[in-house]
Amino acid sequence: MPKSAEVIKVEGLAKVYRSGEVEVNALQGVDLGIERGEFTAIAGPSGSGKSTLLNIMGGLDAPSSGRVLLAGRPISEMSGNELSDFRRDHIGFIFQSYNLIPVLTARENIEYIMMLQGVPQQERRARVAAILAEVGLQGMEERKPVQLSGGQQQRVAVARAMVSQPDIILADEPTANLDSATGAELLDTMRDLNQKSGMTFVFSTHDRMIMERARRLVELRDGRIDRDEVRD
Amino acid sequence: MVLLIRLAWRNIRRNTRRTILAGLAIGVGLASLIFTDALMIGMNESMVRTATDTFLGHGQIHAQDFRANMEIERTIVDLEAVVASLKREEGLRHFALRTQAFAMLTSPANVGAVALFGIDAAGEMGVSKIDEAIVQGAYLQAGDRRMLIGSNLAQTLEVEPGDRVVVTVAQAESGELAQEMFRIGGVFHFNVREMDGRMAFIDLGRAQELLGLEGRVHQIALHFDAMERDMHFWQRYSQAGNEALGWRQLIPELDAVLGMSQYSMAFMELILFGVVALSVMNTLFMSFYERLFEFGVLRAMGTRPARLAALVLLEAAGLSLVSVLIGVALGAAFTGWVAVTGIDYRGIEVGGVTFRELIYPVLSARQFIVFPLQVFIFALIAGVYPAVYAARLMPAAAMRESF
Repeated sequence: MPKSAEVIKVEGLAKVYRSGEVEVNALQGVDLGIERGEFTAIAGPSGSGKSTLLNIMGGLDAPSSGRVLLAGRPISEMSGNELSDFRRDHIGFIFQSYNLIPVLTARENIEYIMMLQGVPQQERRARVAAILAEVGLQGMEERKPVQLSGGQQQRVAVARAMVSQPDIILADEPTANLDSATGAELLDTMRDLNQKSGMTFVFSTHDRMIMERARRLVELRDGRIDRDEVRD
Repeated sequence: MVLLIRLAWRNIRRNTRRTILAGLAIGVGLASLIFTDALMIGMNESMVRTATDTFLGHGQIHAQDFRANMEIERTIVDLEAVVASLKREEGLRHFALRTQAFAMLTSPANVGAVALFGIDAAGEMGVSKIDEAIVQGAYLQAGDRRMLIGSNLAQTLEVEPGDRVVVTVAQAESGELAQEMFRIGGVFHFNVREMDGRMAFIDLGRAQELLGLEGRVHQIALHFDAMERDMHFWQRYSQAGNEALGWRQLIPELDAVLGMSQYSMAFMELILFGVVALSVMNTLFMSFYERLFEFGVLRAMGTRPARLAALVLLEAAGLSLVSVLIGVALGAAFTGWVAVTGIDYRGIEVGGVTFRELIYPVLSARQFIVFPLQVFIFALIAGVYPAVYAARLMPAAAMRESF
């Protein structure tokens, strides 16, 4: 990805969900740019469009109208494979629910993206060991997700999102299913990583703790940006 | 690819009960296909063997049109040359000369119309099983003045070995009626209605004398090492006023039954493949919807659509492999067991042939190579639809729908 200032930019983004005769306007003309190294929280009440915005920014969903530029390139110009490869190489995802592949061990879950990238086994193992140490899960490499607590699973998810060193990590309510202590610990880990490696983080959240620690807070209401505030 | 195979195999093992149930559904279908095919082969072989070995032979030579009008004068043309040629034939194990005429048998108690065959007692033993079917009295000897009749006919005429019957026939050329008295030498029982009720055998020389044929015969029954002969054989003996026919032409109704059994098998296969397709699709879709979120996550992590489709196809392949192994094991065990014990259809008539022996399913390579391969390929084809469905999945939609 070129070193442009904006990693992701959305312009005039709208998303309409249809359920039978009913139309729900999840996003209505959102313009937003995310710059390299940001630690941004997209906040708002339930149904405000946070997850939808995050999904569209990551190319997981298609907008009804508007443009999404990934590294300056419109998503609509990318083929299915190009978009998959782009996500694999440049975007890391963390989801609200524990989203590990249950049949794979913690190590295999973390290795998965690197295997898709064709990283040699030796390097994969070294990077897995390093990242697990960083998120405080040394020695748990061979555990299956069911053998880990919710907090540990989410740490593995963070490790998996970060191990391939993507340009940006999109986290959809990552602390929603965790108790406050575990959530705080996880958030500190991510903030450390942001500060050390300059990795860009964008969270969708209504967790006050994340909002307080974010350096930029974007508030959504009824599918529109209500507030966009950068803190020192 | 290794990663996908590992992932697919673990997913198959993930819900063991469902995998085993789906595997059993497909496997039992495959096992029943193997058994039915083996049984069909056993039945067909038994039917053909019963029809040909009992009396008909693997083929026959007659004068042209003899079979159509049964005229006594129509004897085999140039018999000596035909016999000499047959003696030189390779793969022809035995042949037997016969006369055949309609006759009236009269006993003190009753009258019966029969097909009267003049047979060479010694030569006939190599072609038919009349000698083995004798249930009362004894088989014929050369120059014998005795007669063999079927068990049902013996009942009708109320005779038994040692009793006398009078044979009335129309002689060749003149058409004059000729009568001769025979003693019942033996009673045979083939458990075939037509043979037991309407056939009688006398010595060939006596028959020629009675019918005024003087060394001529109506029929040469053939018994080969292998049941089938090529076209050239039949053409070679279908010359100069004679016709040579294989058992398929002699008993076309049996040939039709065999043909029908192939259609039945094809129909069975079609039903099985339908079951396989539905079972595989059902299992894959159940597993698929259960893991919709996971598929969304895999796509989000950068798994290409084709890879996801490959994963689903690999799961279909794994599931069908498990099923095929179950099916082959069940099929081999059950069919193998019945192939030893046999099934008793004796006395039941199919296509004009009455089973006289136990039926033993015949195992063949086709059942354990072609059928499993067909099931495997069909299961893979059935996996294409869920695979394409998975490939087209929008990651966010998959994750949304899973809640």
